[in-house]
Amino acid sequence: MGMKILLIIPAYNEEQNILKTYNSIINYNKKNKANYDVVVINDGSTDRTEEILIENKINHIKLINNLGIGGAVQTGYKYAYKNNYDIAVQFDGDGQHNVEYVKKIVNPIIEGKVNFVIGSRFIEKDKNNFNSTLARRIGINIISFFIRLVSKKKIYDTTSGFRACDRKIIEEFQQDYPLEYPEPITTVEVIKKGYEVSEVSVKMNERVGGKSSIHSWKNLYYMINVIVSIIIVGNRRYK
Amino acid sequence: MSINLRLGLVAVSLILLVITLLILKKGNMPVKYSLVWIFSSLLILLIALIPNVFSWLSTILGFMTMSNMVIGIFIFILLMITIVLTVIVSGQRKKITLLIQEVSILKKRD
Repeated sequence: MGMKILLIIPAYNEEQNILKTYNSIINYNKKNKANYDVVVINDGSTDRTEEILIENKINHIKLINNLGIGGAVQTGYKYAYKNNYDIAVQFDGDGQHNVEYVKKIVNPIIEGKVNFVIGSRFIEKDKNNFNSTLARRIGINIISFFIRLVSKKKIYDTTSGFRACDRKIIEEFQQDYPLEYPEPITTVEVIKKGYEVSEVSVKMNERVGGKSSIHSWKNLYYMINVIVSIIIVGNRRYK
Repeated sequence: MSINLRLGLVAVSLILLVITLLILKKGNMPVKYSLVWIFSSLLILLIALIPNVFSWLSTILGFMTMSNMVIGIFIFILLMITIVLTVIVSGQRKKITLLIQEVSILKKRD
């Protein structure tokens, strides 16, 4: 043990959830004698997110300009790299992810079995689990099909933002990380580069507060972008 | 090609050239990026001065009229310029992202 673990929490206008999310991690640390460090990446929020972070002395980086999810998360990986963390976990600030499962997704890395772990909603079928909408599940399955096509590996939850990676992957990500649609693209990249990837089952909560901006044309645009990206990345040659 | 059209082309060519040179003089564009505009204006001038050569070329290449070929050439040039610009903008976006990230990490108070 004795591994330094960092939770990277990207936050854009999360004034309603960020403190709750942070407190859940601190409480978990106290109860379980864990020591997960936290860095919140405030991606140019225009609401009270920054004030809440300062008032509560939460370790955070305030981006001087909005970068979007990819650029924000990458800032977290750069921070993890510069501060010599062994494991970095991507964790949503909107209450969708549950800190109880962090242990489960970092364990395969601590045991040295894999480099990259994806927290997946779809491995174990469970009616109580929040599996998101039908349309979204179909989209995720289509992405899954294309990832399998180019990498020969079946990934169930292709858009999960609940992921853990070891030092090697932290180094890869701090160097190069897609600005858009990072989850499916980095999954393909990591597999293509020959790293060990595994998926473990987690439960996710339905988003509390904030709103999911699901719009059908936007989704079609998203799907086209992701599929083309997967095919391009899948046909790159890494040494 | 009618004399009116040829005069028009000469005017367009000169306007394009003058605009490019003015921008260069102000230092708002590196010479590297201006070359494509200067060559475009010279090409327009060439078409106005020796239309017979282009008319012959358009027949050989199978265009119905010479103007179709000219329009085709310029659409192609503009598409190429747009692609190059997209690459330049994407490269700059990467650099700006890196700058924002590094500056934000440096500004962080522990």
